[in-house]
Amino acid sequence: MKEYTILAVFSIFLAIFADLVLKTKLIRNKRFWIFWGVMFILIFIVNGYLTWRPVVIYGNEFFMNIRLFTIPIEDFLYGFGLITLNIVIWEYCTRKFTKRSESKIT
Amino acid sequence: MKAEYLIVLAVSFIAPFILSFSKKMDFYKYSLRLILSLGIPFVLFVVWDFIVTSRGHWSFNPNYIIGLRVFNLPIEEILFFLIIPFCGIFTWESVKYFTRNYK
Repeated sequence: MKEYTILAVFSIFLAIFADLVLKTKLIRNKRFWIFWGVMFILIFIVNGYLTWRPVVIYGNEFFMNIRLFTIPIEDFLYGFGLITLNIVIWEYCTRKFTKRSESKIT
Repeated sequence: MKAEYLIVLAVSFIAPFILSFSKKMDFYKYSLRLILSLGIPFVLFVVWDFIVTSRGHWSFNPNYIIGLRVFNLPIEEILFFLIIPFCGIFTWESVKYFTRNYK
């Protein structure tokens, strides 16, 4: 296994782990997967451009060189790990802060 | 063009940034929520990026970056880890808004 491949898969595990520990339950939320359907298209456009020019040049010995259009598949895994982690923390804070401000009212 | 990576980020950012002030979403209601959800992954992924860039996982085409660097990373690459997550969170809030009646 290549280094970037391992790290990209690890970032997904990290995001899923955070989702389980913080009990945000996003991976079982249908709207979360609708969100990823939309994000996939947006990531495809932005990352597609960056890898097509190319702005970012990948080191051959570190990834599998399997690409969707010009995008290494590791990039999709890594993007999923990053943004899912953002959303998990966002949802965790939303729940925490909303509860707190509600309890202030009562 | 040297500014290309920066322009890609600006184009991604502009619409979500303007629309994030919409009254239909309480995007800035808890500033700590935005700071933590952007900040924690930012630190993690930028540290990752510093290490793997120096190992040679990837490099940046000098024709498309303005040339400002923090250690070995172009300033654009560091901004990437704030701007793209911001767009992600905005998209998530938008999907939540448009699927609000969906069970």
